[in-house]
Amino acid sequence: MTDWSQLPRDVVEVIARRLTTYFDALRFRAVCSSWRSAVSQSPHRLPCHFPIVPNEGFVETTCGFYLSKRTIYRLGLPEDRISTCIGSSEASDGWLIKVEEDVPDMMHLLNPLTETQIKPLPSMFPKVLDLSDLRISELGQDYVLQYINYRPFVNSFVDAGSLYMEKVAFFSSNSSLSASSPADDNDKFALLTIHVSGKLAMFKSGDEKWTIIEDQRSPYDDVICFKGKFYAVDSMGRIVIVEPSATVTLIASHESHVFGGDKKYLVESEGDLLLVDLYLSMDTGDDSPFENMDIDDDFYERIESYIVEKTVRFKVYKLYEGRQNWVELQSLGDRLLFLGDNCSFSASACDFPGCKGNRIYFTDAFNCSNGEDDYGFKDVGVFNLDDGCIGPLASYPGYSKLFWPPPSWIADPSAGTNALPD
Amino acid sequence: MSMISGDKSSTEILSLKSSDNEIFEVKKEVVLESITLRGMVEEDEFSDTLIPLPNVEGKILSKIIHYCQKHTEARAKVNGSEGAADSKEIKDFDSEFINVDDKTLLGIILAANYLNIKDLLDLGCQKIADNIKEKSVEDVRKTFNIKNDFTPEEEKAIREENLWAFD
Repeated sequence: MTDWSQLPRDVVEVIARRLTTYFDALRFRAVCSSWRSAVSQSPHRLPCHFPIVPNEGFVETTCGFYLSKRTIYRLGLPEDRISTCIGSSEASDGWLIKVEEDVPDMMHLLNPLTETQIKPLPSMFPKVLDLSDLRISELGQDYVLQYINYRPFVNSFVDAGSLYMEKVAFFSSNSSLSASSPADDNDKFALLTIHVSGKLAMFKSGDEKWTIIEDQRSPYDDVICFKGKFYAVDSMGRIVIVEPSATVTLIASHESHVFGGDKKYLVESEGDLLLVDLYLSMDTGDDSPFENMDIDDDFYERIESYIVEKTVRFKVYKLYEGRQNWVELQSLGDRLLFLGDNCSFSASACDFPGCKGNRIYFTDAFNCSNGEDDYGFKDVGVFNLDDGCIGPLASYPGYSKLFWPPPSWIADPSAGTNALPD
Repeated sequence: MSMISGDKSSTEILSLKSSDNEIFEVKKEVVLESITLRGMVEEDEFSDTLIPLPNVEGKILSKIIHYCQKHTEARAKVNGSEGAADSKEIKDFDSEFINVDDKTLLGIILAANYLNIKDLLDLGCQKIADNIKEKSVEDVRKTFNIKNDFTPEEEKAIREENLWAFD
């Protein structure tokens, strides 16, 4: 047996500095006292509630915003516990969650794609989760601006109307901090979002008000912070980079490629920037209502329920930075794309056994859920790039299990270990 | 770092002796990858150019020399610029080089630390950090043969650090 206790303390510190995530550092600190002292005390997470962001020059009706951060994680069992869970079909399953940290260590569980809080939690769900027994990987972040009229720490999720409903891209000068160096309040950050006018709006820490960026040909659809830079796409497919000075540089114009879809998304996958184009079609729904319609007072109200816009397909393009052009991707391979209300992220299908790659999960804003309390999953659709099939999540039971219900090992974290008691 | 200029000092050969008395003939420029050895050589402590390394066994020393040779060559190819470490060729070499059993990995890390070869120490430590990522705390202890030496108070503090409470 290799005698690792020979590792001198300064080497343990070198190892500690090479841990990249907050959870790896936590686990390192839990091993033994000499490892614990090699990692700085209580490594700070980036704050979830940032200082108040003023609304000046942005939205006229509120006093300002809180900026909240939600994080999307994949939870799984570590290798050693998977192999001891023989017979459990769920041992290697991954669980995709979005959480927001309220007061320290009190988490709200959220639907990864919508803003819905998963509440109330089912009775079998553990009140407390021990992270040291789990493998946690971070898949993305979701930033939202909350109108300051609502108290941020109590019942702040009850009313979704308290949120500014556009994607917020976030950049922090300290975003590449290693797990063992703490963030502090002096860190500079910048936000980019879409104003009601369709123009881009930027706010940097220290600014007194938002900057509305005048450069615009058609309304912007999406923003993203990719490799430390802000990118934005408009509804015609024009892609720009936005500098901290608020100047805009064209990356690829819509003239070099005609995008036929109705809504554009930007998402990162394995280090590449992807543009996803959503196609809607007008559909008269399943009934053929026009023959038997009574033209009465309710006609113009009812007509909306007969003519529906449906999401029918997606096309995916990859940005080739050097060549400044977009190339259509015929397949995502093992990758899954998630296009939510205000966040987008990607994952690998092999982290979620039972799910096949080359799929896009999206929130179908055009699908009217009947309001049943199912934590918002009724609004999620799945598009299969293999064959172009599209449908609600409920049609694909194998694909919904990555969201809900949680795998059985969440309820019983000690299952499967054969660790002898000390 | 010595430049490849064809002068006599760059082709000077030094001898390194491992703990198990194996002798390795190494070009001086390769030896200078080690800050520790560079200090020894520059202070002219070893007039007969034989440097004993009682802390490093032959099997490990041979690997260390191989690493230093490869990195010196790569740097020479780009004329001494700092970009050498980033080339794909070097990255591929490094990942294969460090793909060794635990005993060898420990040996390499301890030797790189003693010899003060920063890049090699970082490479070895990154490998350990990567190994840890996939493991639960209990498994890390098993793998590294570490005893849980926390007091009950510390255990309580650790547990609290690692909990998520759900609203």
